[in-house]
Order: sequence, then structure tokens, then C-alpha cells
Amino acid sequence: MAVKGLDIFKLSPKKNCKECGVPTCMAFCMKVAQGALPITKCPYMSEEAIALLSEATAPPMKSLEVAGHKLGGETVLFRHDKTFVSRNLYAVSVGSGMDDETLDAKLSDIQKVDYERIGEREYVEFVFVLDEGKGADKLSGAVQKAAATGRGVIVETKDPEAAGAVLNSARDLIINGADASNWEQMNEAVQGKAVLGVGGSSIQEIYDTVQNLEKAGNKTLIIDVTAGSIKETFAGAVQVRRGAIKDSVRTLGYPSLVNMTKLAAGDVHLQTALAALFTLKYGSILVMEKMSYAESLPLHSLRQNIYTDPQKPMKMEPGIYPLNGATPDDPCMLTVDFALTYFLVSGEIERSKVPINLLITDASGMSVLTAWAAGKFSASSVKKFFDECQISEKIKSRTLVIPGKAAVLKGEIQEKLPDWNVVVGTREAVEIVHYLKDGEHEKAAAAVAASKQPAAAKKTEVSPDAPFDFDKIVIPDIQVVDIGVTYRQRDPESKKFVVIGERIHCISPVIRAAMEKMDPEPILKRAAEQIRAGATYLDVNIGPAESNGPELMTWAVRLLQENFNNVPLALDTANKRAIEAGIRVYNRTNGKPIVNSADAGSRMSYIDLAAANDAIVVALCSADGIAKDNEERMMHCHNMLEHGLSLGMDPKDMWFDPLFLVVKGMQDKQMDVLEAIRMFANEGLNTTGGLSNNSNGAPKAVRPVMDSALVAMAMMQGLTSAIVNPNDRRLMETIKSCDIFKNNELYSDSYLEF
Amino acid sequence: MPFEPKTQVFNSKINTIVLGTGDKAVQIGGNNVLPFYSFDAPIENAPKVGVEITDEALEEYVQPKLKAFYDGCNTLPEMAARAQDIQGVSFLALHLKGADPNGRNRSVDECVALAESIAGAIELPLVIMGCKDIEKDAELFTKISEKLSGKNILVLSAREENYKTVGASAALAYGQKVGAESAVDINLAKQLNTVMTQMGVNPASIVMQAGSAAAGYGFEYLASTLERIKLAALGQGDAQLQMPIMTPVSPETWGVKESIMPEAEMPEWGDAEERGIEMEIATASACLAGGSDAVIMRHPDAIQAIVRMIDELV
Repeated sequence: MAVKGLDIFKLSPKKNCKECGVPTCMAFCMKVAQGALPITKCPYMSEEAIALLSEATAPPMKSLEVAGHKLGGETVLFRHDKTFVSRNLYAVSVGSGMDDETLDAKLSDIQKVDYERIGEREYVEFVFVLDEGKGADKLSGAVQKAAATGRGVIVETKDPEAAGAVLNSARDLIINGADASNWEQMNEAVQGKAVLGVGGSSIQEIYDTVQNLEKAGNKTLIIDVTAGSIKETFAGAVQVRRGAIKDSVRTLGYPSLVNMTKLAAGDVHLQTALAALFTLKYGSILVMEKMSYAESLPLHSLRQNIYTDPQKPMKMEPGIYPLNGATPDDPCMLTVDFALTYFLVSGEIERSKVPINLLITDASGMSVLTAWAAGKFSASSVKKFFDECQISEKIKSRTLVIPGKAAVLKGEIQEKLPDWNVVVGTREAVEIVHYLKDGEHEKAAAAVAASKQPAAAKKTEVSPDAPFDFDKIVIPDIQVVDIGVTYRQRDPESKKFVVIGERIHCISPVIRAAMEKMDPEPILKRAAEQIRAGATYLDVNIGPAESNGPELMTWAVRLLQENFNNVPLALDTANKRAIEAGIRVYNRTNGKPIVNSADAGSRMSYIDLAAANDAIVVALCSADGIAKDNEERMMHCHNMLEHGLSLGMDPKDMWFDPLFLVVKGMQDKQMDVLEAIRMFANEGLNTTGGLSNNSNGAPKAVRPVMDSALVAMAMMQGLTSAIVNPNDRRLMETIKSCDIFKNNELYSDSYLEF
Repeated sequence: MPFEPKTQVFNSKINTIVLGTGDKAVQIGGNNVLPFYSFDAPIENAPKVGVEITDEALEEYVQPKLKAFYDGCNTLPEMAARAQDIQGVSFLALHLKGADPNGRNRSVDECVALAESIAGAIELPLVIMGCKDIEKDAELFTKISEKLSGKNILVLSAREENYKTVGASAALAYGQKVGAESAVDINLAKQLNTVMTQMGVNPASIVMQAGSAAAGYGFEYLASTLERIKLAALGQGDAQLQMPIMTPVSPETWGVKESIMPEAEMPEWGDAEERGIEMEIATASACLAGGSDAVIMRHPDAIQAIVRMIDELV
């Protein structure tokens, strides 16, 4: 079993001497648990701790690197449990008995399949050379030719002499052929200079041979599970992997090899069927008779799917994808780099038969709306993409269709790309065929072009880092209206659970419209509702707000604080300058401002922003995508904590967000999140997060039930705050009750009323 | 110490459902181990393969080998009768894609007549696949179930939006089997099974259609959904997920670029039909490895490979 970082930490000297090169013992232990550093890097770890840990931290399945490819290192039996890490590799078989012409033709065929799919090179990684008993010279000759292709080489021979001979023919070989009868000689022959493949007539026999080899000091092995029948081979593949991972049988913890040419000689179709089977079920190297495009297209793309990390969606490379024979004169359609979005959109465009240049912009692999809300798909990101990929130089057409779901970006994109005619496309991919066939895009683009002022003065582009004069911010006068709700004075030191009301969010059409016009009424209404319902803080999400962020945030902060007795606020936007502007006019009577949010990746600098302005920061324990497990969550947490401390922040001002996950889809990860909250709490850290995300997509009547059950569990674990909808009465009553049990609030019969 | 592999036998098992009548009736489901894990316990009932005949097959099945297989067939019932000759197939799936109001919009009466004539031409059990239009499918399934009552057909499938109509007619009124189709999502699959059984449909009359995808086209979602359904059904004894799974493979794989791009446009890819066959084989095999108890396929060569693989594994 893998050992947790915190378990190692318990055995560590805890002196933070930095001699291992890592700032804290905690961070060091996290790295050891991930396998990034050996435990022996610590000079002060006791002998017994090292002995205990080196056995326990050994991964269930060894990782090998052969010919530049990673093999093994799997930790789960099912990809949904975490992820598969080392994709299965393909080999195509040749024989030492082949005449030169046949061999050359076969090797040249192998190299014909070589292409890119979603950023991955797809090709046959290995040539498999079978010793057909024609002598060591013939074998070495074939191996040399195979190696000359630049692919890795696997040699199958049971003859130790031949094995020894080919060692000089090529480097980085796998020599497959050790078994119960010859393992000693084979082991001597390879002298640790090649990976040795072990086979046998049964899994028990293989187990014994591997054990013997391990005792002889060789742990650079693969297991050839190919048996006399397909049924036995499948059994072997599953039992070897299951033994290693589920039952911790270390002797079976090696990558496997399955030889389709033995199981289905001459039957290419059956080999394809088996290769697909062994892609899902535990084949590491799959040996095939043939791999033309017909086999490769489905098998490589299946592999790519299966070996995708379930937490990290597949991403397309940003760039221009000409469809239906599009030339630079054809119009452009823009979408995000989430692979599934790409496949849906490109599929529909292809169906329309209309030539289109599909532009894929970097959006961290998120869908259109998610990316927009996260600030990953904005006018600036589109502009940056256009500049980096030189779209305006490469494409002559000036028609740019943006996704219907990102219609709100039209104005800003048009402003940043003034030469282009930006039009809004369909909301759903299925509508694209009609849209394009009817030429809607061209009509709309013509209209945009016609409406352009011929001599419209170009706005000068302002860099986000350029100096900014906050004193020049002009906002409409703030009206204080009597809305019948006041925010009760609050002690910022109070231990009570902090409810951050999430209802002022630009994803809501009402709020978005209000923010566009700086119309106070809808915003005050939502603020009043939340304060009445018991919100401690109000979150103010103004969206990416690239053009007028500072003005908008200044206005929103003053509007809310002046109307509601300096209600404390969380400032929520990707526009840092807007946050800065908001804090400049912020009144701290009822609590510091919250910067929402930083993460351990590209948003690390929001911690700097909070530190410079003495603000609280919500720190998402993620970098690119959701953390795989709590080791990773804690690693992000510690990275951010270290960063904050180095800037002089009070750790109490860093509120860590474990990222609540949706039950519909990530049910099996819920306890991990709760466990993470406990880990944060044990270190005395504050925590918060978008708790109601758990019930996303659940029926309306069910959501309050789920949210309140989860908040009770999370508060038990030590959660100190949540970003939720305070108008959910059941949830708020649960929180108030938990505050009573936690002794954060003195009981009275009427406690629910406060 | 010698190594003894541990086995993983579950106390729960997948429901067995019967399609068709008489000698040619077929059982789907019934196992208590993960797919093909014969080393844990014997596979009681091998996964089944069905042949897809679309209502547009006469024009649509243009690939040379496929066309040659159906050579001499001038009508769909003739094609259906011929399809039964493919060794190892257990049922026939009539795919009424042309009923789609946004496509050919074949009338309900025409579809019913077609289903009836095909049922009359074959001995194997019949599965009726709809056109994915919610309302049209509900009507089609109702009328066809009525017309073929007693034949013990399967309608594929009821969805969240029309399960009440389809469940009430096909299953409750006419005693047919019903597919429960959800997008690739285990929670949605369980919910649909739950509401269908709540309205009185016998769990032994329900087959799950838990989504479909071609290899390379988001197949990871399908693979994980199939695996999670099987693990919940067997490992957690979740009765609402113990329905056998039937996965249409060919309707997905014969629509993707890899299978239809003409060789003329992509010379290095080689023969288009061969690409389509391999795509169908790889996808079907991966579905079976993930947890499908039955797959629907089209090309005789692809079916042959999958039938042989199943024979070898059980």
C-alpha cells in the first residue's frame, strides 16, 4: 500500500533544517510520498523509519523506462479510481528467418503509420524480433535493422547465447524469453544491460521465476503473460495486475507483454479485437502482426481515451484546423480546446460540408461556459491566441464566428480585433449545420462590416501591467436607499461559521445586465435577501470585466458597503486591478476583504495581491484541473502556504478551498474532500469552498437536503466557511445548529432567528 | 511459497432477460463476475452479438464486402433473413433511423409494416431501434409492440423524456422488453431504471443502454461508465443497476471519419471499408471488456472477429 505523506511526516525529525533542499519537513514528506524524492535525502531520518518506509513506499507496480517509453507504475485497476499512467505500447513482429527483402518491406510498413492525434504522436513504438533459430548472426542482423528504424526493439529468444550476442547489436533492448528452465543463463547473458522478459506455462511458474530473478538481483523485468490460449492469456493479464495492485503481491508488480501473433496468428481482425481487450485490461506491450492505419486509427485512439486522466480533460492543441478543404479565404469559427467540444463542433462543421477554418483557442481544456466563468476564455485570451498563432496573417477572411454561449464577449472581442467581423454563432453544436448551410454567418458578418464606422479611431491597447491611476476612477454617484435590511455589526475574530453569499454573480443574467449598466437595484435586492437570510460575507463576482473592471468593482464595493453598514465582501474576478481598486475603497469594520481566488497554478499571484493589501485570500488547492488525491491537494496547500508566509501573510488569512466535487460524477471522491478538510483543520488552517457544487444537477427539492448534510459533515471535519446560497433555509438552519454544537454560539431557544 | 491467485466472486449477479420465443430465444446477462473473468467463476452466459439492419440499408450498405454479403437481396426482409446466416449472431436489430422527422421521416405505419415483415422473415429475436426523436420513438415503439405482441421483442429504447409512454405500452400493455437509455452517466442510468421499475415494469424486462461511443470519441466516459455499473451491480449489490447492458456499436462507428473518409481523399489511410471494420471491432471489443452484455454490430467480418473472441474467452 502506498504510504501517505502525513504518515511519513509523523516519522520525520520535524526540524525544518532544509538540508534536503526542501523548505519544510512537511513539504519533503509530501514529495517522498509522491515518489519525487527518496527518503534517504533526509540526513536525520532514523534507520528504522527508513527501513519501514522504503518497503511501504515501494509502488505496487514498478516503472520501467525503455527506449524512451515509460512502462508500468500503475496504482489502480480501474481508470475511474484515479487514472492509468503508462499507456500501453505497440510492437509489430518480424522474424530472424525473414529474407532481407521481406524484412525491409515489413520495417518500412511499420514506419508508414506515424501521425499526431490530440497532441500525441501515434505510431508503433517497438519492433518485435522473433528468433526463428537461424543463428545468432541472422538474429543480430535483424535486430540492427530493426533498431535502425529508430523504434525500440524487443527480441524474443530462449537461447542465452543469442541473447548475449544481440546485446551488442542495439541499445536499450527488451529481451523476452526467460522461463523456469533458463532464467539463470538468460539473466547472466543480459548482464543487466537489457530489460528481461519472463514467461512460463502458468502464472505460478512465472511467479517462481520472477522471484528467483529478484533474488539474483534483477528487478528490471517484464512479464510475458501470453499463454497457450486466449482465455488463459486474459486470465494471466488480469491476475498479474490484480495480484500486484489489489493484493500487494510485489513479485507480480511488473509491466506485461501480450503477443497477439501467437494468440491469433494470421487473423488480423481477431488481433485487433484482442488488442482492444488488452488495452482496457492490463496489457503493457501488445505485439501485433500488422499495424496499418486501419488498425492504428481505432487502437491508438482507444488507447488515448483509456489513458486520459479522468480529472484532466483531453485538450486540443490551439491553432487553425481547416475543415472541408478550407483555405485562408474561408471564414473562421472559434471554440475552446476541450477535446469533446472540438469533436462535436468539427463533426457538425464537416457534416455541413461548408469550408471553415476552425480556430481552437487555449481554455485549459474547459467547455465554453466553464472557461468563460473561470476567466480562461475572454477577449484578452482570444487576442493573445490571435497574436501568438498569427491568425490575422495566416487567414485572409475576416469573418469570425464565436460560440453562442460566449455571446457576451462579442463586443470586447470586436474591440480587440477591429479588423475582424465578429458574429455570434449557435449555442449548440447540432444547430451548426443549418446555420452554415443557410449562410447565416456570412450575412451577419456582412452586417457587422457595414455597420463599422469607416474612420473609427483605434482605441489604444492598455497592457494589464501598465501603471494605473486609481484616483482617476470615475463611477456614478452612490445612492443610499432604505431597503429595510441592515447588516448587523460583526466581530471579525468570531469563530462562527462564515457564510459567503454567492448570489451576486455575473453568470446570472439579471446581475450581468445590472453590472453592464451599473444599475444598483437588482444588486441591492440580492444583497438584501442574502443579508436577511444570514450571510456573513457577500461575494461580488463581476466576471472577467476586462474593459472596466476597476470602475465596476469600485462602484460595487461602495454601493454595497454604503447601503448595508459596511457588509464585508469577497471580491471575485480574474481582473486583479479590479480587486485592487475595490480594496482601495473597502471599509474593514466588519472584516477584511477577501480576494477570491488564488490557486497553486497560474493564479498564484492573487496571494501576492492579498498580501500586499492585507486581505484574506481564498486559496484553491488545485493547479491545472482538480487535484487527483489528497496528497496533491496538500501539496498545493503547502506550496501556497509557503508562498503566503514568505510574503508575510498571517496563515489565518489564507482560506483553503479543497474544491467540492459534484456527486453526480464524482461520488467516490466525496470522502476525500472531507478528509482534506480534516487535514487542513489539523494544521490549524481555515477552509472554505463552493459547497453546493456537490449537488449540481440534482433535483431542486433534493439539493438543500444534500447541501445541508454535507455542510454538517464538513463542519464536523473543521470547515470554517462556505460560499453558498444563504437563501437556502435548510442549509442555513443546519449551519446555525452546527455552530451551536461546536460551541461557536451560545444556545438559546431562538437561536435559529439570529 | 507458491503463488495462489485470489478470486473475486460476487454474491450478486446481473439479471437474465430473455428475448424472442421458442428455440431461437436468447438470454442476455446472468453473470456474477466481471466481463470474461472466467478464472473467478464460470461465465454462465456469454455476451451476445446482434446484427444491425437499418431501414436505409438498401442504399446505405455500399461498402463492397458488405454489399457482396447481401448480394441478391432486394428488400429489407431479405437482408434480415440473410443476416441470420452470420455465424454466432443471436438477434437482429432493425434500426428505424429513417423515421426521424428531421430526416426521411418515414411514417409510423410504414415502420410498423416494415417491422412486421422483418419479424416474419427471421427466426432470431428482434430488437427495434428508434430514430432518437422522443415523440416519434414513443409512437413507433407503442405501435410496433402492439403489432408484434407475443414475439417478445426489445424496443431500444425508452429515455428520460418518454419512458412513461414507452414503459406503459411496450412493457406493461404488450409484454415486450424495454431498453432504458441514458447519456453516458451512471447516475442517470440508475435513475431511469428506478423510475421505470417504480411504474411497474419488471426489472427482468429491462435492458440498459448506458450510452455509446466510437473508439477515440469520448470512449473513456463510456468505458468507465460500463465498468462502474458492473462494479456497483456486482460489488454493491445495487439492484437498480443489475439490468444487462446492450450497446449499439455500429451506429456510432460507421459514422466517424475514420470509417467513412474515402480512400481517394486520404490515400495513406488505405481501404475505407477495412478501416470501418477495424473501428467496429475495436469498439465492440472494448465495450464487451468494459461490461456490455450484448453489442449491436453491422459488418459480417467485424462480427466474425468478435464472435470468435467471445468463443475463445468463455
